Amino acid sequence: MIEFKNVTKRYAKNQALDDLNLTIPTGDFFVLVGPSGSGKTTTLKMLNRLIEPTGGDIYFNDKRIIDYDIKQLRQQMGYVLQNIALFPNLNIQENIAIQAESLGWPRKERIERARALLKQVDLDPDKYATRMPSELSGGEQQRVGIIRALAIKPKVVLMDEPFSALDPISRKQLQDLVLQLHQELNMTFVFVTHDMHEALRLGQHIAVMRLGHIQQIGTGEAIMQHPANDFVRGFFENEHTPRPATIQDLVVKGYGQATTAAATLKSTAPVSELAAALQAAATVVVATDQGARQLTTADVIDYLATKEAD
Amino acid sequence: MAQIMHILQTQGGDILHAIGQHIGLSLISLLIAALIAIPLAIVLMHHERWAKVMLQITSVLQTIPSLALLGILIPIVGIGTVPSIIALVIYAVMPIFQNTYSGLTTIDPNLEEAATAFGLSRRMKLFRIELPLALPMIISGIRIATVMIIGTATLAALIGAGGLGTYILLGIETNNNALLIIGAVLSAALALIFGAGIDWLGKLSFKKAGIVLLTLVVLIGGFAGYRKLANPQTQITIAGKMGSEPEILINMYKDLIEHDHPNMQVSTKANFGGTSFLFKALKSGSIDIYPEFTGTVLESLIKGDKLASHNPAKTYQVAKNGLKSQYQMAYLKPMSYQNGYDLAVTKQFAKKYNLKTVSDLVAVEGKIHAGFDPDFYQLKDGYPGLRKAYGLNFASAKTMEPSIRYKAIANGKVNLVDGYTTDPEIREYHLVVLKDNKRFFPPYQGAPLMTEKLLTAHPELRTTLNKLAGKVSTTDMQQMNYKVTVKHEKAATVARDYLRSHGLLD
Repeated sequence: MIEFKNVTKRYAKNQALDDLNLTIPTGDFFVLVGPSGSGKTTTLKMLNRLIEPTGGDIYFNDKRIIDYDIKQLRQQMGYVLQNIALFPNLNIQENIAIQAESLGWPRKERIERARALLKQVDLDPDKYATRMPSELSGGEQQRVGIIRALAIKPKVVLMDEPFSALDPISRKQLQDLVLQLHQELNMTFVFVTHDMHEALRLGQHIAVMRLGHIQQIGTGEAIMQHPANDFVRGFFENEHTPRPATIQDLVVKGYGQATTAAATLKSTAPVSELAAALQAAATVVVATDQGARQLTTADVIDYLATKEAD
Repeated sequence: MAQIMHILQTQGGDILHAIGQHIGLSLISLLIAALIAIPLAIVLMHHERWAKVMLQITSVLQTIPSLALLGILIPIVGIGTVPSIIALVIYAVMPIFQNTYSGLTTIDPNLEEAATAFGLSRRMKLFRIELPLALPMIISGIRIATVMIIGTATLAALIGAGGLGTYILLGIETNNNALLIIGAVLSAALALIFGAGIDWLGKLSFKKAGIVLLTLVVLIGGFAGYRKLANPQTQITIAGKMGSEPEILINMYKDLIEHDHPNMQVSTKANFGGTSFLFKALKSGSIDIYPEFTGTVLESLIKGDKLASHNPAKTYQVAKNGLKSQYQMAYLKPMSYQNGYDLAVTKQFAKKYNLKTVSDLVAVEGKIHAGFDPDFYQLKDGYPGLRKAYGLNFASAKTMEPSIRYKAIANGKVNLVDGYTTDPEIREYHLVVLKDNKRFFPPYQGAPLMTEKLLTAHPELRTTLNKLAGKVSTTDMQQMNYKVTVKHEKAATVARDYLRSHGLLD
């Protein structure tokens, strides 16, 4: 578990973070979202102490992070950078295994680990392991950037806007990849983005930030349903306009019935996914903030009919 | 061109030796400079203010002219290899430091952040990430330093460290373009070769480059160590000024000493430098003996009352006493030849007007167009004094560079020149030296100069070197200079031939 308690960061002229309080449960996929200057990246970099707070305390597993040996702290945390930052003088497997190397893993183990990870993200180890970073496409490089952060099986993976420089198709693929990796590996993911859509797609919990203050923390559904203030609402609407309707939109309008059955879809999924699921079954159970809801084909048709009428 | 080929054929061994010296000097300096500059840049890479101070210091050092730097170093560390290496290191530190520093500090901050965030140790970050990334810059710094060092190392010859500069200096001194070209072209070629070699080294992996460098260090170190060990204990170093004449003399000294005293080993350092370099070297013990002129001793070495006498024996006595009382040095007996100023005309001109002595010139003074060395033209001991002493009034007297004066008389541009009595050009251009019948020119006689300490430790040297006292006439010297300078015979051979033919050596 990670806790921020009254954390502030003051630079000479401005206040980057003001009295930040935040709890990230172990194993969570936690997204910090906000426009530039909101303090989201500062918050992230305080976790591996690239930035030190000027006030307050940060706890990692109930121990203040400044009480950890800094090297040991960092070796429990993977880190993915916005501009990937693969070391251009090292080949792919050396890049992936750099943290393992610093921990003194034997060479054979390091190579095995790097190759296994490459396989896991659909990069053929025989083809890629000994290439240099410059020989890979942007999407491929960021795949390597992500598995580099996973190489020593860290407890926490920090990601600082890792997909903002990628094209939409690569971004979508990599979003799927991190969701899948998060499910497979029992790690806490802390993810920074300025893209609300990406936040909703990835986050189990989302913290919306602005000018060094947290505006709202909650699940995507909760924030969408009950935006805490105009800023959050506005931030959403901006992000929403091009976005297709989600199942949440139905639920908000009162469609569906409470159920105890296991959910097969998240309410943040687009309506099209619900429609596809309903082609195969008469009813589909969706997980929402208010518990599981059972939806039918009639609900979808009715929603679409009234939505068009709006 | 033919002359260059001839020199290469006859002096190939010496030239190779000079190349070896040049490479040794350059590589040792480069290595020391790199060992200073690279770690310094690493230490200072996170201390921007100190790094700036260091950059300033190295830049200032860079602006000191190399000659001045050598001059500053002489009183501190003497002459020879050590000050040359120090000067070269001082020059080479700046490009290596600057490049290493900027190579290390211009690494993409994202890569730095990644390395930090992964918890890499300072050491691993440096060796695995930072140094490899900065390597191209470091290599180019070393390359710049190398080219600079190899060029500047030619100046080392000025203070007796040898190398290819010896040939350049000798070429300038004796107006021998072939020697000049050999020295200059070879040092330029060395710079190119080493530049290319370093580029090649830069393309190798970190590990391979390290192995190559280490091998080089071991080879140089081993060679230096071997030379040190191979040298026997009683060692006498004899040096000479620039030019063929001192080189012939020091080879005579060497042959005589080694013949009489098989337990002594003599090493010669020809073309060691100018008067003050040699004198300082003798004082500091870097060298043991060098041949010096009586006139020069009076003129520039001893202080106090130095009334120039025109009597050679008297001049020698004053010089000897002055050196003994002021510097505790022993000045052995001089040889016969005079290497003083003279006036020379062509054979035809002498014959036409029946010229034998300087006094004979008075009769034809209206026909004389003279070409003089600027010094000679101004010095009291030169033309102004001469005019007064002999009552001469030439039609014209121009000053010209010493080296082109002989060409001018050969081409008929002038019909009288000044010179030194043993100049080989006198023979080369078939000139006649006019007798200084009024003994106006101060006497310049060569004699071995050494510290009294050496003579006390080895009194046998006096008998050995005095064998040359009163020997070697001006014509002998002229002839020997001609053989070495014009015919490119080896000074050692010419010296030995003389000693053999005069029964001084069997």
